[in-house]
Amino acid sequence: MTHTVKLVPVQAAYDDLLKRSLSKISCDLARLIYLASTRDYNTGNYHHDGLAARFCPDVAGKALEIAHRQVFYQLSAYSLEELVAQLQTYLDCSHESAEDVLRTWQKLEPYRVAIPVEVNPAVARLFLSNVKLALAIWRFRQEQARTHP
Amino acid sequence: MIGLPAALLLGTILFLLLVFLATRGSEEIRGLSSRSNVPLFDDEAGLDPCPPEFVARIFSGDDWQFVSKTGSPQLEKLYRRERKLVALAWVHQTSTAIRRIMREHTEATRQSQDLHLTTETKLVLLYAELMFLCGMLFLAIRSAGPQRVYGLAVYADGLSQRLAQAQHDIKTVTTGREFHGAESS
Repeated sequence: MTHTVKLVPVQAAYDDLLKRSLSKISCDLARLIYLASTRDYNTGNYHHDGLAARFCPDVAGKALEIAHRQVFYQLSAYSLEELVAQLQTYLDCSHESAEDVLRTWQKLEPYRVAIPVEVNPAVARLFLSNVKLALAIWRFRQEQARTHP
Repeated sequence: MIGLPAALLLGTILFLLLVFLATRGSEEIRGLSSRSNVPLFDDEAGLDPCPPEFVARIFSGDDWQFVSKTGSPQLEKLYRRERKLVALAWVHQTSTAIRRIMREHTEATRQSQDLHLTTETKLVLLYAELMFLCGMLFLAIRSAGPQRVYGLAVYADGLSQRLAQAQHDIKTVTTGREFHGAESS
């Protein structure tokens, strides 16, 4: 019984998060980065002021955690072609220069910290590898466009 | 033509060799992982098994077709290297998981007084087949690449899910019996 009572607010918080925040984000890659940014590096707990105010910090944290894992699996299931398209959308919507973002991503690999905890290790590897490849493909395309306009 | 004893001996040697390779492969993956700075997430207890759609994605040829369309040898090389590592990591994860399942099962059977020989034999054979497949996959991925072994990987994944399910079912039945036994005494 206690579980049912607890699950309902988490579902409500999840729906709220989907409706108010996630649906307004351009692509799954941006959603993943956004959700990972709501996680505390030290504790691993998720926090979102608006969601915590509407529900409670625990429920909001759980909803964020579920959403993070879901977006991660969705993104990891994409083909390389789809992931390159995601990267393109992400870079198009970013306010920074695409070249700078690309350089930073290839150098610092910030997408490594975007992986949720307790996901399947093989899927996590596939994700990291695919992002690395997508970045290389995107860079290759840019170089091609520059040399053969 | 070779006789039955010779064929059996050869088969056993081949089987042991492949099991040895699967075990050694796991150690090698660990080495590669530390060099490539990719986390191995070795503590896999309690984690969900790899969903079948991801196994299909790792071994599918679609991504390779996409990369080869670019016509860049560097990208093709990078792709081959990356996907090979991911595929080998999956084999490592699968063999680690099945070894863990069998370890847990052996511990449980040691305490159990109600063993079914047929079920136990089936489980051991399934385990042996899986270890053999992992050895074969390890060799095939290294020599031919993951795309060539798509069918074998999907088959091995199905078997490992079956082994996990069988062990889970046995555990549930044993726990149930023990619970009823404790209640009646």
